[in-house]
Amino acid sequence: MNLLLARPGLRVAIVGALALALAPLLGRNGIMSDYVAVLIGEAVVLAAAALSLNLLMGHAGQISLGHGALVGVGAFTTGALTPATELGLPFMLAVPAAAVAGALVAFVIGLPALRLRGLYLAVVTIAFSYAMFESIFASEQVGGGSAGVSLPRPQVNTFLFTDEADYLAILVGLLALLWLVDTNVTRTKIGRAFRALRSDEAVASSFGVDVTRYKLLAFALSGAMAGIAGVMVGHLKLTVSSSVFPYERSLLYVVVVVVGGLGSRVGVLVAAAFYAFYPIAMPELFGTGVRGYDVIIGAALLVFTMARNPGGLAGTIRELRHERRSERARVAAEADAGVDDADGPALPKLPNMPRPASLAQRPEARGDAPVVEADNITVRFGGLIAVADASLSVPRGRIVGLIGPNGAGKTTLFNAISGLERPESGRVRLLGHDVSNLGAAARCARGLGRTFQNIGLVKDLSVTENLLLAQHTVAPYGIPAALGYAGPTGRIEDELRERAATAISGLGFERYADTQVGNLSIGQQRIVELGCVLVTAPEVVMLDEPSAGMSPAAAENLADRLRDLRDELGRTVLLIEHNVPLVLDTCDELYVMAGGAVVAHGSPDDVVRDPVVVDAYLGGALT
Amino acid sequence: MGEVVVFGLIAGGIYGLFAVGTVLVYRGSRVLNFAHGEIGMMCLFLAWYLVTERGLPWIVGALAAVALAAATGWAFERVVVRRMTEAPRVAVSVATVGLALLILATEIRLNGDNPRSLAGPIGGRGFQIAGVFVSPTQVLALLVTIAVAVGFATLLRRTDFGLGVLAAAQDPNMARLVGVPLGRVSGFVWAAGAAVTALGALLIAPTVQAFAPGAFGRLFLFGLAAAIVGGLTSLQGAFVGGIVVGLVEAGAGRLFAETSFPGLETLTIFVLMLLSLLLRPEGLLARSGGRRPA
Repeated sequence: MNLLLARPGLRVAIVGALALALAPLLGRNGIMSDYVAVLIGEAVVLAAAALSLNLLMGHAGQISLGHGALVGVGAFTTGALTPATELGLPFMLAVPAAAVAGALVAFVIGLPALRLRGLYLAVVTIAFSYAMFESIFASEQVGGGSAGVSLPRPQVNTFLFTDEADYLAILVGLLALLWLVDTNVTRTKIGRAFRALRSDEAVASSFGVDVTRYKLLAFALSGAMAGIAGVMVGHLKLTVSSSVFPYERSLLYVVVVVVGGLGSRVGVLVAAAFYAFYPIAMPELFGTGVRGYDVIIGAALLVFTMARNPGGLAGTIRELRHERRSERARVAAEADAGVDDADGPALPKLPNMPRPASLAQRPEARGDAPVVEADNITVRFGGLIAVADASLSVPRGRIVGLIGPNGAGKTTLFNAISGLERPESGRVRLLGHDVSNLGAAARCARGLGRTFQNIGLVKDLSVTENLLLAQHTVAPYGIPAALGYAGPTGRIEDELRERAATAISGLGFERYADTQVGNLSIGQQRIVELGCVLVTAPEVVMLDEPSAGMSPAAAENLADRLRDLRDELGRTVLLIEHNVPLVLDTCDELYVMAGGAVVAHGSPDDVVRDPVVVDAYLGGALT
Repeated sequence: MGEVVVFGLIAGGIYGLFAVGTVLVYRGSRVLNFAHGEIGMMCLFLAWYLVTERGLPWIVGALAAVALAAATGWAFERVVVRRMTEAPRVAVSVATVGLALLILATEIRLNGDNPRSLAGPIGGRGFQIAGVFVSPTQVLALLVTIAVAVGFATLLRRTDFGLGVLAAAQDPNMARLVGVPLGRVSGFVWAAGAAVTALGALLIAPTVQAFAPGAFGRLFLFGLAAAIVGGLTSLQGAFVGGIVVGLVEAGAGRLFAETSFPGLETLTIFVLMLLSLLLRPEGLLARSGGRRPA
């Protein structure tokens, strides 16, 4: 039994089924009056709408101040499809239809979100909901004018849901469905991708997350859920008109999600129940004199939450529950960080993570082409030429170094190779395949792993979650399968978790598995970052200044690990580094950049004697 | 055509004033104050109480209203914004949504849904331009908008304090290091932004005739559209954006006059806002090659 309850899908199904059976039972026996059933129904609908916004805002970090309009789209869709007067579509088909309508409209709103962020998105969404409220919903054609659209009691086969308590069972069932979808989102790669793009889009795409695709997916999914919430509210109110969806309604959803705690299902549920019930409960308890204070208190709570307690209700509970555990972890991390600063942790032996046969495939190498080839790359920022016609080639099984003074264009060239920067001209080939037109995510999927000078990890996720996120591109289940947690999804997720655990124990980071990456020291973060690269079994590992922030002892140790990468793990390495002894010690080949151009190339010994290189490092003229 | 221009200028001046309020706060703290519409409404209720109910002169009510707005903006900065310096700017904007709801709920609590009205500062029948009756208050509104936009632009550009405001928005830590009093700067923009909005509300009151809680949503959003058309950081841009929004609204109203479909002007302004965000995020007045929205 315990085992059964541990599975989220089953838990939701059980709770849903219980409510489904309980609501009509209570209604039939007169224990629950119609009034109470409608009241609970409104709380359920509010929770459903807030859950849809929570997916977008809480998980994916895309703000929407206009979700009320999406709920409206769902309500008017069912209004058009199942009209009260004539024979319409069966209720059970109206639900998916409204979901599709909501998803489509949300997708279109999501399009500007690809270019607009944060505040601009807030403006667009609030203006959208206002325009819908004043125009489309208010029209005769869509919203039935001032009279609104009448909706029938839902009917399934021949059973007509005339009892409020019976209909409540449907509402609870639909809420359970939304809850389940949200659960599946959070526990698969979809949720991890959402959390990554919420935190840092550049890091997300370096982990192989297609930012455009997942942003639009977040909007569409959220819109579909809002559409379903619209069906729920429509058949509860039985008449929908523009005035049911004033644009301030959207703001209430924001209040519920923020006060409940962004990203927390339970928090959202509790907050929704609170906001639905207490306007009724207050006058009951304290007399009608207090009527009107409900909204005042609600709004004050929002302001207070934003200013004092951004984690919301869920954050508070989490803090109380984890206070002692996380305190211990923090102390441990700090103690280690102290040691780290003193003489540096030895870089652990890197775990060998072979390519899993069961996970996603990538195109094979073409003949014995170099692993990475960059041809005549030029990158220009406005008037500044950051990289000028630079070429390099990294043969398989070698450690190739890229050195040069600050501002030489090394990292920019790295960005052009890994796809974060679109070069003005030049081609990039990976394993002999031209990848110049692919984005960073696609290149990552083809076996390019890289680290960043300022560490490419999602700082507010744990070590384990970062390692799971790193395997985004090797998780070969589709989005529909993930939403239903169907097919191979569960098995693959288990495998990914196992690989993450292997990597963590390989790095000796077991006790930090659940620690937020941002709480680790820089040296520790670099190790985790390296683990994230290796867990995807990349063909080439591109390291941007791995020794930066490391103590001399740790940097010395780094040389051994780099050789392990090549000799024991069989990886190819491209390395930007300022630590010249380290470079000379480890690299098979060196490229030197200055002023955006590659000025020298050869074996380390030859290169350091090259007068051009000496000149470049001493800052002399390069003519 | 002449009508469209006159109507556009009358409405556009007010949108411009709301836009200036929004831009002031945005320039000083990179936050959009979504409560401006409701702050404006709250001030009208105070002015209505003092002038219509108590019979005090208009100017007294107006001064009290502007003072109340400034105090509200200042207090919100003090109590909420200042505690959120490390928070994402979107979060602060969501907090202003809370403020809007708070004021709205308080208005409803005290006033109910009863519509109120407030006369303008200058009486008289006004005069006719291109077949449209224009009241003296409407002319005054346009002049005040220009004066406020130019005045604040000069203050920001020409005084040390104004430069401090701009610096604080760019990089608060750096600004603090060079001696900008961040608290005072931030308090100033939030107070000034709200006060300008209240001014806009007072000047539009005779034109809208009756007002009730929540009724300024449209005005605020059109002002926001104006601010965005102007690039969100330029005060002159905000004024020009206001005029553009006013003219487009009047033009759309004329164009769709025969159509029975409601709210097409609002839809048009929404599209205008979207297009200017996507195509010209740096604003109408900016030189080309400006920055992308962050």
